[in-house]
Amino acid sequence: MTDKDTHLEQLFAAARRQGERLPDDLAARMLADAGTVLSERVHPVQERQRPSWRQVFDYLGGWRGMGGLATACAAGIWIGLAPPGFLPDPAELLIQPDATDLFSDLTLSELYVEEG
Amino acid sequence: MEDLTSISEGARGGDAAAGAPSDDALLVLFANGDHGAARDLTGRLGPRCYSVAMRVLGNRAEAEDVAQEAMMRLWRMAPDWRPGQAKVSTWLYRVTLNLCMDLKRRKPHEALDAVPEPQDGAKTVPERIQEAARADALQAALMQLPERQRQAVVLRHIEELTNPEIAGIMDISVEAVESLTARGKRALAKALAGRREELGYEDD
Repeated sequence: MTDKDTHLEQLFAAARRQGERLPDDLAARMLADAGTVLSERVHPVQERQRPSWRQVFDYLGGWRGMGGLATACAAGIWIGLAPPGFLPDPAELLIQPDATDLFSDLTLSELYVEEG
Repeated sequence: MEDLTSISEGARGGDAAAGAPSDDALLVLFANGDHGAARDLTGRLGPRCYSVAMRVLGNRAEAEDVAQEAMMRLWRMAPDWRPGQAKVSTWLYRVTLNLCMDLKRRKPHEALDAVPEPQDGAKTVPERIQEAARADALQAALMQLPERQRQAVVLRHIEELTNPEIAGIMDISVEAVESLTARGKRALAKALAGRREELGYEDD
């Protein structure tokens, strides 16, 4: 073995003596992580059983799904209030004032007379 | 409180001391909810993982982060571990080195502020200073090596693992390990040649 090798071996030996200790706070953090992992493993079922709005939200497609739903609702309301020219006015379809009002040309006194 | 900060001779050699449960057994106990097993595993494997990370990264804070993350992956992997399939320490060294390489890719700088504090209370102050200077010089020289050479040299000469075990950790052949460590040692010897007297080594 050459001097250079001996010198290097001495340096390695010094490094081995010095590199074997774990800082106390790091050891504590490692153990705390282990505790967290264990508790996550014990309690996940409870997490899953709890119904929440979040689950409903996710079921409807999350932000993307809810965004589409909101846009569709807004478009429906807008078309209902101000329909384009080629569509019938839904308000007129519901009420139809003149065509179905059989009594529009009668006065109140005439109605009384009719019913006797 | 049990000392978790130093490593036993038996654990360093890779085998549990006579009568003590193996790393495999401790990992199974931990997977079954035994927090005491986590304490034993931290005492055995934590120092090794931290020591390797520090020698490879050359930075104390980064080494702490890597060592903590490597142990976190061990805790999470525990339920899926198949005892007898591989050595837990081999798995952990591999994870630690991969985390070191990921960190190096994200932060490609070389830090040299990470020499461990001298731990031997029996030494005098000049001896401690000289020991720290030697470790500092070695770390500085290690940081000049290419990544894979540094990993192989650290595993072989500081962690004292066998070549086949290093080959398993680094996923290369035993011949490749021998080549990396030989080239690494030559480069280290060359880098340190001018500092022998300064570090208190006399010529024989």
